[in-house]
Amino acid sequence: MNNSPLKAYLRPNGSWGLRNHILVLPLHSALSSSARAIEEASQGAVAITHDWSGEIDADLERIVSTLAGFASNPNNFATIFVTLDSPNERRIIERAKLLGLSNFVHLSLADVGSMHKLVDVGTREADQLIARALLQDRIPAPWSAIVLGLECGGSDALSGITANPALGVASDMLVDLGATSILAETTEILGAEHLLAARAITPEVGVEIVNTVLRYESSINYEGIDLRGAQPSRGNIEGGLSTLEEKSLGAAKKAGNALFTGVLEYAEVPAVPGLFFMDTPGHDIEQLTGFAAGHVNIVVFTSGRGTPTGSATMPVIKVATNTPMATSLKDLIDLNAGTIADGVESLSEVGNRIFNEIVAVANGKETKAERGGHHEFSLSRLYN
Amino acid sequence: MKIEGFDHGSRGLGVRNYQLILPSVVCSTHISRRIANAVNAVTFSHQHGCGIIGADVAGIGDFFASLADHPNVSSVLIISLGCETIQGQELAEKLVAKNVSTKYQIIQDSGGVEATVTAGTASARSLQDSYPAKRIQLKDFRVGIDAPSNSAIIRDLIGALRALNIQTDLVSGKSPADSFSHLMEKKVHLILSFPTGDQPASGFPLIPVINIASESALHQAISADFDLPAETTVVNIVKLIFEVANGQETIAETNKSGEILAPRLVRST
Repeated sequence: MNNSPLKAYLRPNGSWGLRNHILVLPLHSALSSSARAIEEASQGAVAITHDWSGEIDADLERIVSTLAGFASNPNNFATIFVTLDSPNERRIIERAKLLGLSNFVHLSLADVGSMHKLVDVGTREADQLIARALLQDRIPAPWSAIVLGLECGGSDALSGITANPALGVASDMLVDLGATSILAETTEILGAEHLLAARAITPEVGVEIVNTVLRYESSINYEGIDLRGAQPSRGNIEGGLSTLEEKSLGAAKKAGNALFTGVLEYAEVPAVPGLFFMDTPGHDIEQLTGFAAGHVNIVVFTSGRGTPTGSATMPVIKVATNTPMATSLKDLIDLNAGTIADGVESLSEVGNRIFNEIVAVANGKETKAERGGHHEFSLSRLYN
Repeated sequence: MKIEGFDHGSRGLGVRNYQLILPSVVCSTHISRRIANAVNAVTFSHQHGCGIIGADVAGIGDFFASLADHPNVSSVLIISLGCETIQGQELAEKLVAKNVSTKYQIIQDSGGVEATVTAGTASARSLQDSYPAKRIQLKDFRVGIDAPSNSAIIRDLIGALRALNIQTDLVSGKSPADSFSHLMEKKVHLILSFPTGDQPASGFPLIPVINIASESALHQAISADFDLPAETTVVNIVKLIFEVANGQETIAETNKSGEILAPRLVRST
């Protein structure tokens, strides 16, 4: 086990959970308020809410993969599906089973009889599952148990100098030990794709990285809209970033210097360990959702401006790029990488600190986002 | 049949007196909910406000402004992260033009999560205190109808409401939630929803929704979620409209069911 200090929850399909959540997942927007009510009444279940009302359109497959992947994330001990029992909802549950979900409850509104009863029955089911989850112990796990998501949001001029390259150090250490690490945000590697492609494990993977960016650029041009209205964002510009290319060069540093093993579609689960690139939007929450659906079980999120966001399934470690923000927003930042710019710590020292925090959080240490109960959710759509 | 409304100044009279805690971006939805729960206000989760381009930037801003401008809304507190595309301060300026009782709180300027919750809760309370509920008889009553088609009962119903000088708007959206958002923009005080047989009964946080069932198997199985059964009459519907307008809770209000869905035109980047 490479002397791994990790202890995690082993799932029936051989994957590893770093948390033991009971997830309440509504499969129709009208059931979102019921799912939230179950979360509030239960002894610790987590619920997400979303805006899909069963529409059958060009985004359907993306929504099916997202919800099925989210439901089957190994950090969930069990998932309670709250549904109208429509064919597409049943398809999502079947897909989640194919992705390894074996422990779930399906509550259909029609079977239960009313929204009010749905909350009662759902809360009872959730509390029973919570009691069962408490009986499962963490056991020694290999380094490959870690599937790390690399994220940045609210970037500033220091992102590419402090927090992002320090996270790259930690990512390289983990990939070297046999873990998985995933870079994402296609919007934010625009202009840096040739540098990433040069680090591909095979020429084919390099071509795939470049093509993913090209596909994205042409789809945005097709909309007839200038991407630069959103990227860099107004907050980025206030934080000192000049162009999208500058933002991209800094964002790519999160992936360190390891070779890229492959490219993943949005919400795709990697089949082998290594460093991957996933095609996601730059929208922080849509990216987090894509990670969770791709079975990422822990995230490091670097930020220049600061953000409270978290996930219902994955612990999210926040790393500040600068000391003033880390000091003023203490209750949402876990680690400060601003010490590099202050001349107090070296890149490798901060990289080691991030690595140690990943191990501690993987073993159960609570993040600030978890303590605050933050678990935002967004469905990513391409057409609607 | 009289309706005692709440005086909401230039926005007219409402049949409810809701304070809205408005997250300007997905990142501030959780903090908004904590504040709303603390002061008994209304909020909603959405995935917008950042990483949006083109017509959506103005579109979402306009949608937020129409929520603030709704006659059932007393005051608005915007919770902003600070670095998002739809900036809290600018949004507040846009909303103040519609609703003078609008304030904002920015997470990145407030010292973190707990500090924002504390300051936001105090701000929401001060808005409530400065806006006491005053009841006046409602004259320009507007009822929205969410129905898949202009069927016989809908035509009869619209005729009966017009005879009572009640204005009506009929919308057939992609889903009830989609219809409700469009009806909100038309400033209806109350909504009658006739969901299609495959959609459940649902509500809208700022507007009371009366749900009327169809004969579908789903609706028959969840009859307790509907205010009126499929075989109801126009007279029963009109009677219930007045009771709800005067304060009686609908089943969706009691269940606190339903979300506000912000319409989107393009996509996130």
